[in-house]
Amino acid sequence: MIDRLSLLQKLGVYAATFVFLLFLLMPFIEMLRVSLRPMSHLMTADFTWWSEDFSLQAYRDMWVTVPLLGRYIFNSIFIAVSVTAITMVVVIPAAYAYARLEFPFKALSLGGFLAVNMFTGAVLLIPLYRVLRSLGMLNTYWAMIVPGVAFLIPTGIWLLRSYLEKIPRELEEAAFVDGASRLYTLRRVVIPLAVPGLIVVGTAVFIGAYAQQFLFAITFNNVREIQPLPAGLFEFIGYQDTTWNEMMAAALTGVLPVMLLFLFLQKYLVAGLTAGAVKE
Amino acid sequence: MATLDLQTITKSFGSASVLTGIDLAIRDKEFVVFVGPSGCGKSTLLRIIAGLEAATTGRILIEGVDVSMAAPVDRGIAMVFQSYALYPHLSVYENIAFPLRVAKLPEAEVKAKVGRAADILQLNDKLGLKPGQLSGGQRQRVAIGRSIVRNPKVFLFDEPLSNLDAALRGEMRVELSALQRQLDATMVYVTHDQIEAMTMAHRIVVLNKGRIEQFGTPMELYHHPATKFVATFIGQPNMNLIPATVVDTGAEGLTVDLPGGTRMTLPVDASAARKGDAVEVGIRPENLTLGQGVSMRLRVLERLGGTAIAYGQMEDGLKLCAALHGDAAVHEGEAVGLTFASADAHVFDATGQVMRRQQAPARAA
Repeated sequence: MIDRLSLLQKLGVYAATFVFLLFLLMPFIEMLRVSLRPMSHLMTADFTWWSEDFSLQAYRDMWVTVPLLGRYIFNSIFIAVSVTAITMVVVIPAAYAYARLEFPFKALSLGGFLAVNMFTGAVLLIPLYRVLRSLGMLNTYWAMIVPGVAFLIPTGIWLLRSYLEKIPRELEEAAFVDGASRLYTLRRVVIPLAVPGLIVVGTAVFIGAYAQQFLFAITFNNVREIQPLPAGLFEFIGYQDTTWNEMMAAALTGVLPVMLLFLFLQKYLVAGLTAGAVKE
Repeated sequence: MATLDLQTITKSFGSASVLTGIDLAIRDKEFVVFVGPSGCGKSTLLRIIAGLEAATTGRILIEGVDVSMAAPVDRGIAMVFQSYALYPHLSVYENIAFPLRVAKLPEAEVKAKVGRAADILQLNDKLGLKPGQLSGGQRQRVAIGRSIVRNPKVFLFDEPLSNLDAALRGEMRVELSALQRQLDATMVYVTHDQIEAMTMAHRIVVLNKGRIEQFGTPMELYHHPATKFVATFIGQPNMNLIPATVVDTGAEGLTVDLPGGTRMTLPVDASAARKGDAVEVGIRPENLTLGQGVSMRLRVLERLGGTAIAYGQMEDGLKLCAALHGDAAVHEGEAVGLTFASADAHVFDATGQVMRRQQAPARAA
């Protein structure tokens, strides 16, 4: 494709992108600024992009203020990864069935999934609490994993189903004629071809799992050792004051591994999409 | 050894009937082509033979064994799809080996069989590539390779050449015919292209609206089309149909009046015809020559070199087409007289059934 934008148009595009990005990234910039400044200066000085008193002190102090911080970060990732893994195991065969098989109440059940998605977790907290209590799951990792999986399965099925439907049916028929079973075809043909789709769905599920764990953690769990980072950040709020700079430093540190993961995945995602495009 | 018999196959989707009473006996090592316009049910019939679709009624026998309820892999068939259906993430080697992997054959055997298939199809230097790196013709050969490794009794082809350009299609036609001889296998081939049917088939099945119009050798279909549909479908350009009125019947044939007043006696079996019947006289463009007979106004002349295709209209608006000599001295816009030998004429009754020709080439096998 030939780039036909004039210089003025290009400037416009970049200006718009800059404004948009600034709007999106401002909270992160503010977090970074706060995390770099000593507590005493936080509330006094005016806004500046750069200040002489920037230091990494908060990044050292936060591990002392909240000794379990490392544990919280691990828990966050552990819970999100578990939710993603379990969700994908359930979603792949389910989405394949919705994409390829005919069965009674197919449209109705798909619609049902969508309807479930319209309830946020918050509406269902009390009933969920009762269910988890009778299953004996309160105050365990499961209390934060199981509801997460349940709320993310419908989205996963909807996303992946439309991707699987785009895989030519003839590929599966060819495998069927050659004697392959449905599961063999799913494993050897469909899943390898659906990798870009799986990454997209996996990413969406992971983000969902990361975002919603706060609600489930503060409601269904009060064991400190298994608390995820968003809930653990509360410990920076003390009786006397809140160490904002350390809280922001901890939040950024907690998000960092996930950000690195996505940087890596993004490359992989692009590669996957191009591989699919060459197909025909 | 591999015969294929279809017995009263029908197929309907809900209330829509797609195939009605298909009876067919395909001989061992025969190359049979199903041909017909789109929507005639030819692909559905092939999918029923493959086991991808279940017939509503009827039986399928391969080597005399009823396989109507068997899974595709147990029928001893292999199928080549229109889109080739190659797995884009697997190498050419793994694509060809796929059926063997499904069957869990030992690696040494897989290697030997893929090697043999690659030899036959000249794919030896392409085994490490992905399908995306191959040309259309090479992809087609990989798809065929995947079908031959299992040594199936019957090969099924679903419009395999329709995605190729014209030049390559001609080349692949020759290759497929050679391959059929080399493999000594029974093949069933679906196409909408009558040239593919004429050039490759031992026998052709002409399908129309879910019924078999005619089953016979290419030249049998050409010289003795059983119905008006077959007559106009086989042959390029299409056969001309001229309405006529029966004025007399006799042992020597049928005497008709053509539009414009020409009276001809055509050597066909006229036993069922009666005086005054409306019939249609079919005459192929290549049988029309310049001369005194019917007259048409020449509208378009396509000079192809060896032949010149003349398209025109008779006075009553009826369209005619004639394949004349390449240097024929005619011009667009002028009136052209055309004539034909009475022995070349086909005659169809009001229901579209043919009256048997008496002087045409014999019904050769």
